[in-house]
Amino acid sequence: MKRLLNRIITGFVWYSLIVLIASIPAYYYLVDSIWLNELDENNLIIAERTTHELNKPGLNESDLEKIILVWNKVQPGANIKPVLYRISNRPDSIYTILKENKYPGHIEKDRFRVLSRYFHINGHPYELIVETNVEESEETILAIAVVAFIFFMILISGFLLLNKYHSKHVWKPLKNSLQKLKQFNLNNSNEITFDKTNIIEFHELDTALTKLISHTVSVYKTQKAFIENASHELQTPLAIIQAKLDLLLQQQDVTQKQYEIIEEINNTVARIVRINKSLLLLAKLDNAQFDTKEPVSFVSVINHTIAQLKEYFEGRGLSVNCNFECDKLLPGNKMLTEILVGNLLLNAIKYSTVGEVIIITLQDEYLTINNPGTKPLDANTIFSRFYKPSHNNSGAGIGLSLVKEIARFHQWEIEYSFRQPLHVFKLIF
Amino acid sequence: MKILIIEDEKMLAEDIASYLAKQNYLCELVGDYHQAIEKIDCFEYDCILLDLTLPGGDGISILCELKRQNKQDGVVIISAKDSLDDKIRGLELGADDYLAKPFHLPELAARIFSVIRRKQFNNSNVIQQNELQIDILSKEVKVNDTELSLTKTEFDLLIYFIGNKNRVIPKTSLAEHLSGDYANMMESHDFIYAHIKNLKKKLTNAGCDNYLKTIYGTGYKWQI
Repeated sequence: MKRLLNRIITGFVWYSLIVLIASIPAYYYLVDSIWLNELDENNLIIAERTTHELNKPGLNESDLEKIILVWNKVQPGANIKPVLYRISNRPDSIYTILKENKYPGHIEKDRFRVLSRYFHINGHPYELIVETNVEESEETILAIAVVAFIFFMILISGFLLLNKYHSKHVWKPLKNSLQKLKQFNLNNSNEITFDKTNIIEFHELDTALTKLISHTVSVYKTQKAFIENASHELQTPLAIIQAKLDLLLQQQDVTQKQYEIIEEINNTVARIVRINKSLLLLAKLDNAQFDTKEPVSFVSVINHTIAQLKEYFEGRGLSVNCNFECDKLLPGNKMLTEILVGNLLLNAIKYSTVGEVIIITLQDEYLTINNPGTKPLDANTIFSRFYKPSHNNSGAGIGLSLVKEIARFHQWEIEYSFRQPLHVFKLIF
Repeated sequence: MKILIIEDEKMLAEDIASYLAKQNYLCELVGDYHQAIEKIDCFEYDCILLDLTLPGGDGISILCELKRQNKQDGVVIISAKDSLDDKIRGLELGADDYLAKPFHLPELAARIFSVIRRKQFNNSNVIQQNELQIDILSKEVKVNDTELSLTKTEFDLLIYFIGNKNRVIPKTSLAEHLSGDYANMMESHDFIYAHIKNLKKKLTNAGCDNYLKTIYGTGYKWQI
């Protein structure tokens, strides 16, 4: 993961690098051609002036020869020599040559721009060669590259500074909004108000978020209301059925057979009540309608639950072996934690036989509840809703899925494993 | 004993009234908030059964009204909302007990019985029934002045039966009374049988008449 600004700036850096590198040959050709152009003009002017001066009237042959000799000596850049062939209307030629420096101490070759012109003095043909030193192409390229590099460095440091400034000031509203979103908790249901910003995109984002949040909150409230209504609507008819059954039992002429039927209906109603309550609890968990901030002591929760289930332990002749290495105090929801521990213990009671021992171990990182068993259960499906390991039990298959949901709600983990001869349920904090 | 049942579900209210009538309670029924406020303003009750969701107003505000008028009526909340928040709030506002729907009528009767006992017999809360004498506060049980040592569960069951005289109590109701929601999750409630047997034995050994009858094999009745 990269910061957005860094990603953008990487692109900028690469782009400017490519552009600056591409600009080096372009600059070179531009500078070189301007240079050559100017030198050609310069050479032309010298040639014009020289031919003009030498063609002044009043110079005889011997003077001319002397002048040319002296000229060639003192003007190394412009050479005049007589030619022996016909030169009528021969055009000027312009070219570049590389020459070695004749003077000691120089080894590199110098570049020259040359103009060669044929002309007549007193009717005799002559050739005039004007040479001017030009900067070598490597040197030009090097100079341009150095300048380009300096500008590149200036660009980069500018980008970095601007980036720093942007992330501090321009992106501030976005960071504020993000901070508020992170703190938002649907369970508290207080809506967010974003700070005002004068940047269109951020303003649009804030508006969209506000809309989304208010929609979510309203859906959440509707769902909450629905759950409560469902609870009310189902519990009341169930309460009526239960009351009717209790009244029916009080009739004088209830026969033994009828009593048994009533008890069976009673048990079935109790099952519906339990499933209804569990489903509501699951729905509430899915909607995160519980606060998990109160400190929960696992030792007291376990002891309390064992006390509540005492009758069932004794009834089945089971004993409990508690190993508390330390008391675990965790932020959570006490009621939910009790349901979690209760369901695990009930499960252990249900699948134990007379005289067995249920072992509860509480350590700093985990809680395990072990009970003896013969063969492993399916660890993948054991926590899913409405899973039933066998047909001959009245459970709705919802207890362990509640355990899993409650664990997930608290960001704990629940694991099942079978270690001969024990079923091990492990709650990892 | 006068009881006001504030419950919008008429059928349920009538069933409760019908069950309680035979326990010598006189029940009045109201179905909405305004009727309830009128009744509370004019009369005193030994116990009020209060549903929290009512047409015309919230059950919680009835509690506030009772508190404002400084009434001493006992209040048992009967609500379909089995939420801890409501329970805590109700009890904080002066309700004496909270029973989530659906419930067994014997359970309700037992709760009403203890609320009234607690409210009206603050100092000497002793139930006398022929040779049997039960002190609810100190949890002492005597038969003809001989003290009985009962376990917590046995004492609990005894009070439950006294609060449901002459009623048939099925085993499931007893299990639910003793272990709450967990009872619903277990298939067998055999432990009840052992407790009842012990209670019966202790009572008869001390010379108490056999009031606790077993009916239909798995039901019980405190007959007097």
